[in-house]
Amino acid sequence: MSNVDPNAPTASFPSPASGHGRPGPARYLVPVLVAAAVAVGLGAYGKIHDPAGTAFNLAGFSSTGAVKSWLATAAFAFALVQVVSALGMYGRLPGLRDAPWLPPVHRWSGRIAFLLAVPVAVHCLYGLGFQTFGSRVMWHSLAGCFFFGAFSAKMLLLRSERLPGWLLPVVGGLVFTVLTVIWLTSALWFFRTFGVTT
Amino acid sequence: MKRSGPLYTLLAGLLLAAVMLSLNATTGTKSSGYGSGGAASVPPPSSPATTGPPPSSAAPPPAASTSPTASAPPAAPGPESVYAGRTDDDTAAVSISVRDKKAVAYYCDGRTRESWLKGNVEDDGSMRLTGSNGATLEATTRNGKVEGEVEVTDRKQEFSAAKAVKPSGLYRATNEVRGAKIDGGWIVLQDGRQVGIFTRDGKPSSAPRIDPATGAVAIDNAWLTARPVTP
Repeated sequence: MSNVDPNAPTASFPSPASGHGRPGPARYLVPVLVAAAVAVGLGAYGKIHDPAGTAFNLAGFSSTGAVKSWLATAAFAFALVQVVSALGMYGRLPGLRDAPWLPPVHRWSGRIAFLLAVPVAVHCLYGLGFQTFGSRVMWHSLAGCFFFGAFSAKMLLLRSERLPGWLLPVVGGLVFTVLTVIWLTSALWFFRTFGVTT
Repeated sequence: MKRSGPLYTLLAGLLLAAVMLSLNATTGTKSSGYGSGGAASVPPPSSPATTGPPPSSAAPPPAASTSPTASAPPAAPGPESVYAGRTDDDTAAVSISVRDKKAVAYYCDGRTRESWLKGNVEDDGSMRLTGSNGATLEATTRNGKVEGEVEVTDRKQEFSAAKAVKPSGLYRATNEVRGAKIDGGWIVLQDGRQVGIFTRDGKPSSAPRIDPATGAVAIDNAWLTARPVTP
């Protein structure tokens, strides 16, 4: 536990280094403001513009919903890799603490998961918009907008130095939790409703 | 030292989103509206309705009035006019969307008979639209109304459609749900009543109501979005 997180050499914990260096509220304020702007902006865009209906499809898939569900499922799988690799980097997996491949795995699984989620979100916002009919749809809309805000905050926080040790795990956990909610309210619902189709 | 990896990640996502949005914007508009040309095949007139044969007014619609007084559709590009109304025998609804001298019309009895028609609008506001299976619609624009005659499945009906402003108007949704092609058309009348049909793999049935504000409609456990139709 007292080790320095190998993936975040700029973030030390428990908190031996918090004495020197002026923290400055900006390093929290900027991510928070960006996160809020992203989430609110996405929601406002989804709410205001006319949903375009269906937009794109991929060869081999029967419907846009199937494409999105599989993309989201893949993103969720990579998010699981995120959690496991993060646990490893924080020394919670015996024998894996210093594995040199953990940080790159964490970084790249996160990037892939994010880039898989972006097309899904684009279609959601462009084709369907922010909707509030039904609790599943409402929670999905809210969580979807919140996710990209929280993810932006996580990315920006990674650049800050000398964060409290608990902050990144908490924000990362939040991002993962929200993604789980999104997946449960969309892809799982799709597979349960229409069957596991491609 | 600040690491820029996370920033690149965010920027890559932003870039990807922008690319996809522009792709959608360029291809999406084409597939909407009438573009698909997918006038759902008109089924046989299984329901000759009740009002007997329609008033087969031998005289063609008063399109003869080539008077230029007819309030022609807006010449300026862009603005569209939507008309919605019912046939004179009150068995079906007709809606016409006009823009840039082009018109797309939808005839629908809410049960089994429907037709999408399209064509050009003349300078005097008259139009002759055609659809699949020989469906035709002849009408003139006068005093902010479109009046004329529509013939679907060999049955002529006179109609009159008044200007319709959102949320009333003409809507369409096409999609695939579980491999079944779904094509729905809705006419939302000025009084809020809706007449709509959706066909699933060519089989027509009465359509559920759409939410005129958002166009959301539930079909086969999936939410589709019906969009306003433009020529």
